Amino acid sequence: MRIHQQLRYLLILVLVCGSVALAATKWNVQPQESKLTFVGSQQGAQFTGAFDRFTADIKFDPQDLPGSRFDVKIDMASVNSRDSERDDTIKSDDLFAVKQYPSARYVTDRFTAKGGNKFAATGKLTIRNVTRDVPLEFTFESKGGSAWLKGGAQLKRLDFGVGQGDWKDTEQVGNDVQVNFVLLLKP
Amino acid sequence: MQLKNTLTRYGALAQLFHWVIVVLIITQFVLALRAEGLSPIKKIGVLGTHKSIGITILVLAVLRLAWRLFNPVPPQPRGIPRWQELGAHVSHFLLYALLFITPVLGWLMSSARAFSVSWFGLVTLPDFIEPNKAAFERLRDLHEFMAWTLATIALIHLAAALKHHFFDRDDVLRRMLPVWERDAQS
Repeated sequence: MRIHQQLRYLLILVLVCGSVALAATKWNVQPQESKLTFVGSQQGAQFTGAFDRFTADIKFDPQDLPGSRFDVKIDMASVNSRDSERDDTIKSDDLFAVKQYPSARYVTDRFTAKGGNKFAATGKLTIRNVTRDVPLEFTFESKGGSAWLKGGAQLKRLDFGVGQGDWKDTEQVGNDVQVNFVLLLKP
Repeated sequence: MQLKNTLTRYGALAQLFHWVIVVLIITQFVLALRAEGLSPIKKIGVLGTHKSIGITILVLAVLRLAWRLFNPVPPQPRGIPRWQELGAHVSHFLLYALLFITPVLGWLMSSARAFSVSWFGLVTLPDFIEPNKAAFERLRDLHEFMAWTLATIALIHLAAALKHHFFDRDDVLRRMLPVWERDAQS
């Protein structure tokens, strides 16, 4: 009898822990409403672009940050800066080199709550096979079952080798790039 | 030399506007023609400077016209044929118009290409039109047409000034030159 009772406690413990670990909701990103964009600068003027194709595995629960995780894969050839000539330049070997490095990836390590619906994450971004720590800041707003995840990160293109040869010069094309995302999540 | 125009010559400010714009326009042609065939990053640099100078010309044209409104220009020499007087008025009007039209078309064509205009990296100008390839191509053709029209009229304007100086031996050219009064009298 005692053994059975202990087993029952153990079972309850396993179930509780298990359900906590599984609690971070696995969301489905709605591609129509979701956007991954960036802002770069040339000659001091900003220009915006987007990645038309990316996939994002989002597990997120404000109540379960340790169980949350983002894993985003970006199709670098889908870059769209609203000018095809500039897109071809961005995809060329000195910049994204999409033939050699067709995708970029971002995976989170750890989340922290910043109060209200604000959160921050640390994570690793890989572009051109170069991996660097890139922190994220974002908001999470859930409404009637679905949720909006909105945020961004700042990075320096040259940290990832995006800019070889003449493109190492940051006078014409700035080093700072702001990346922004808006994701509509549904269960 | 006086700041304001007199009855016989252009003042210092009007001359400064005139000659600075001349130098900037020549620079614009050099930059625009050099940009063709450059590698993308060099092109961004050269065209960035071209855009900054273009906006400078636009601002100078506004200031110059405002100054002209409050400061009448010296009258045309007496006794020149009616068609020449008319020709001078028409070409001056067109030159002013093109000083506005050409940079504005360049600005719009940059917006249509999704390359916003920055003035020397200090101020980014707003985009009044959405990126659109067909609009870009039309605006680019118009910008180039206006630039070459400007160059053509400017050359006629130069030829007329030289004709006045060397053939008519009047002071039409000299009154736009920064010579001192006593030199001008000689």
